[in-house]
Amino acid sequence: MTPRLPAPSAWPVVRQLRGDDPSARGDAAKSRRSATLQPRTADADRVVKSVCPYCAVGCALNVYVKDGKAVQIEGDPDAPHSRGRLCPKGSATLQLTTGSAREHHVLYRRPHATDWERLDLDTAMDMVADRIVAERRRGWQWEVGEGQDAKRVRRAMSLAALGGAALDNEENYLIKKLLTALGVIQIENQARVCHSSTVVGLGTSFGRGASSTMPGDLQHSDLIVLEGSNMAEAHPVAFQWVMEAKARGATVVHIDPHYSRTSALADVFVPLRAGTDIAFLGAIINHVVSNDLDFREYVLSYTNAPTIIRQEFEDAGADGLFSGFDPELRGYDPTSWQYEGAYVAAAAGQRDQEGNVRLQHGQGEHGPESRGTPTLDPTLQHPRCVWQILKRHYASYTPEMVERVCGVPQDLFRQICDLFVNNSGRERTTAFVHGVGWTQHTIGSQYIRAASILQLLLGNMGRPGGGVMAMRGHASIQGSSDIPTLFDTLPGYIPMPHAHAHDDFASFVTADAPAKGFWGDMPSYFVSLLKAWWGAAATKDDDWAFDYLPRLTGTHSTYDTVMEQVKGTVKGYMLFGQNPAVGSANARMQRLGMANLDWLVVRDFSLIESATWWKDGPEIESGEWATEDLATEVFFFPAAAHIEKEGTFTNTQRMLQWHHKAQDPVDDQRSDLWFMYHLGKRIRERLAGSEDEMDRPVLDLTWDYPTTGDHEEPSADAVLAEISGFNADGELISAYTELKDDGSTACGCWIYCGAYAGGVNQTARRTPAREQSWTGSEWAWAWPANRRILYNRASADPEGRPWSERKKLVWWDADQGKWVGEDVPDFEADKAPGYRPPPDARGPDALAGDDPFIMQADGRGWLYAPAGTASGPMPTHYEPQDSPVRNRLHRQQRNPARQIYEHPANRYHPDPGEAGADLFPYVLTTYRLTEHFTAGGMSRWTPYLAELQPELFVEVSPELAAIRELAHAGWATLVSARGAIEARVMVTDRMTPLRIDGRVVHQLGMPYHWGANGYATGDAVNELSSMALDPSSHIQEVKALTVDIRPGRRPRGPARRALVEDYCARAGITATTGVAP
Amino acid sequence: MPTRAEVLELLERGDTYGAVGQAFGIAPGKAYMIATGRPADGAPDGDQALVNPRAHNPTEKPAVVAWVRERAPRELTRPEPS
Repeated sequence: MTPRLPAPSAWPVVRQLRGDDPSARGDAAKSRRSATLQPRTADADRVVKSVCPYCAVGCALNVYVKDGKAVQIEGDPDAPHSRGRLCPKGSATLQLTTGSAREHHVLYRRPHATDWERLDLDTAMDMVADRIVAERRRGWQWEVGEGQDAKRVRRAMSLAALGGAALDNEENYLIKKLLTALGVIQIENQARVCHSSTVVGLGTSFGRGASSTMPGDLQHSDLIVLEGSNMAEAHPVAFQWVMEAKARGATVVHIDPHYSRTSALADVFVPLRAGTDIAFLGAIINHVVSNDLDFREYVLSYTNAPTIIRQEFEDAGADGLFSGFDPELRGYDPTSWQYEGAYVAAAAGQRDQEGNVRLQHGQGEHGPESRGTPTLDPTLQHPRCVWQILKRHYASYTPEMVERVCGVPQDLFRQICDLFVNNSGRERTTAFVHGVGWTQHTIGSQYIRAASILQLLLGNMGRPGGGVMAMRGHASIQGSSDIPTLFDTLPGYIPMPHAHAHDDFASFVTADAPAKGFWGDMPSYFVSLLKAWWGAAATKDDDWAFDYLPRLTGTHSTYDTVMEQVKGTVKGYMLFGQNPAVGSANARMQRLGMANLDWLVVRDFSLIESATWWKDGPEIESGEWATEDLATEVFFFPAAAHIEKEGTFTNTQRMLQWHHKAQDPVDDQRSDLWFMYHLGKRIRERLAGSEDEMDRPVLDLTWDYPTTGDHEEPSADAVLAEISGFNADGELISAYTELKDDGSTACGCWIYCGAYAGGVNQTARRTPAREQSWTGSEWAWAWPANRRILYNRASADPEGRPWSERKKLVWWDADQGKWVGEDVPDFEADKAPGYRPPPDARGPDALAGDDPFIMQADGRGWLYAPAGTASGPMPTHYEPQDSPVRNRLHRQQRNPARQIYEHPANRYHPDPGEAGADLFPYVLTTYRLTEHFTAGGMSRWTPYLAELQPELFVEVSPELAAIRELAHAGWATLVSARGAIEARVMVTDRMTPLRIDGRVVHQLGMPYHWGANGYATGDAVNELSSMALDPSSHIQEVKALTVDIRPGRRPRGPARRALVEDYCARAGITATTGVAP
Repeated sequence: MPTRAEVLELLERGDTYGAVGQAFGIAPGKAYMIATGRPADGAPDGDQALVNPRAHNPTEKPAVVAWVRERAPRELTRPEPS
């Protein structure tokens, strides 16, 4: 039957032209159909304030709720940082939470079973508690070493956990607290594999390992340099501030191997070879110091440029090795890097590892005061002052070398140098923005250091429009670094203790707390933490329960844990919203580890690849494994989503935002807070009455959080209140300066102290942007002390006056006798610029009135890091682990201290020029897309997002496509010594072939989000990568590796592995390939 | 649906958009739109409260404060008088 058309007089266009609505914004646009439509928000009965669970921009959400169910999620226009905007992922959060791909019930895979079975939640919880208790007892270590070398470790080495960056701070807190009490040290999360290099790089340079600024402050920049970040696609909502700056006249530069939307919106795009940023940045440093283009007054007063270094220090010259390198240990003894006349501790990085050395140098009979005072040369002429050392170190980093090493033409490089210099100084500021393009290298932490040095030289730290903006990737990856589900730190970046010969609380703080600055108050922060965890059991007589903490004996990163799984040491493993079978380097090694476990717990929304490898992983497909042969017992617990629980995320600008619960989780779905709390209760019930000393930390743990509802959900507010801190009168403390080392205060994370000040949840504050200043200081709460721009004392000159009217932020008001301005001063509010500490002053009192870097042991920004890094005091260019190019700046090809792992499934490629190297001639870099999220667990199961980006692809230049006969939209196979994958080919000018040292080097680009499960499926790019790590941050190198590419799909079945083995055989790859220091 | 004049009359009397909406059985945001010709969502002088239902954003929970007050004396020592 032919449908009846409405009469022409009823057509909208006719009604528009004939009626009284010529603009067609009213009645003319209405129809019978539109009359039946109404917005999903129309009949909502309330709006719940929430936060996007994807990246670390932390866009604020309005969740519309009707009858207890979310019906719509939109951006909150009141938010100062996101201004109501959302990216495709944020816009899809309703589908993320209400979609049908989420699991509702506990699933259980028995050893050797071929499929899942249902298990009730209580039984599953009991089974996991039983296994933890039993495995802990079986694998318990009291000591390592023997006889006089024996060191107490008190730990459970057969248990490990991974994940937390997608969780709330309160959830991470309970994970760290319970597992540490159980003696588990192998606790890690996404922060290790994403931004751990940032923490080391920024922390050693400035005193804190987090972004110094916030995206909203980029609007004040005169120059924004985005390097190692595709901000327009990876953090699009924050990128609005770059566009804001551009609209105000700022210049935007993008430096990256891969042309992207960020490049398209930049004024200048600089393509460079992946893995060469230190050569590029080092050459800019050389340009600045050799031409005296620095901001000299800032440099002299606020950096360690005048500080004299010990005579025994030897720079990494032509050979590329600093003094102190031990080839046997593949590492440095950093003693010779220290200041002359002093022995200082770093604020981040390698801290307690170096603690023993400092103890020898610093304690002595006079106590820590004998660490001494650095010797300064304000003329900068002393040959051993940092300025002169820096000048010599970078002298060979010339424009010619930039062209040879990075592939950047000299005139383009000089243009960038001029932009830096012309946009820095009293009147102008430059900001750096970086992402994981900088961090994920075998020398990633030094990439961040290089940028930090440049910002210090040019006087861009602590000032509006300046700073280093680290764009972090998960909703609370900053939070999971601050309250660390990480092996090497305790909450607030207190170092996790290593096993030392003399091992008590006093020795620890003497070794690790510097004499000067706010880290000098570490005893107050640490005692308050131990009181929060062990309450009445932490007494002065019992050394504050310091002995309850398990001890480290080296590195226990997630990659070390994988090796321990493969070796059979680790038997029980828990995953909290992390998918290592896709997201960690060398995906096959991850599966080899998990296949060797006794039991595995996976908590997630859907059945991610790390939960199902035993039935459908690549080794099953190839026939290498049979499911029936695999003994690992697997528990899958469905997780509650962000709108189904309360808590805080800490975003990339250190801002804690509370998200409220909008709806209840269903069936077996539970929050991680619920899981950890009830798991802890069950474990404590099993240990009740034990008189075994190993159980005391568990039984003495403060674990009585109030609960609500039928599920007995623990109160996230109560957990946050404990984190924030309280005193003996039960008052919620306002600031970390109120913490004491006498047992009268408790505080779970000293840098979060004040988040619950006065009994008010400061993180839930939501004063609309239009009702406050641009800093947004009344929206949520930022650590530390709600400061939005760190080191802002440096926005004023030594006398306390703004460097310029245009760039003023905080300044000294002599009449009021305090620091005032737009932001909370990152300085003692009433300390005058002219204050000079008495000789016996310690801690904060030892900071002068013009020491802006208040966490540093000398109050200064570190151009040269005398401690804290494992790769030398100054960034040095080394080639990536797998590179087709020889190092032209130093004889040392690779970072000599990098961490590598010997295993047949983790082979490395031959050195360039050696036989077999030509089999892997192309540089591969990886990145992420706007529509997907990290390892895909929150996007490949979401239909909108899966449809937007359905397939894995590889970007190749037209030149390379011609060479390798690759057809656009056809298939290609990529091969490394680790694995072989397939992807659709995208032939595009976005990948630029570069002329490197007289020959053309081709680069490939691939997003890394795919795996075998979900709606959008594809091979995991991490099948190609190796486990080769930065020794300071223990991060993997996945931003620059080498591969071969060939047309066509990869082989199926056993032929896939055979292809990889054939490549290895033809390249002559063995256990010794590529492993020389 | 009320006319603009009817809405303005109540506003001039001192009623809020919320009260005007209630009087005519329409959303406050719709009253704002009738009065000003602009959607309340995103308007410079608009307000989320006009567009959205009541926002749920409590910042204080007395039970948490009580829990801390009960716990503190058991676990912490009072500082020595200085």
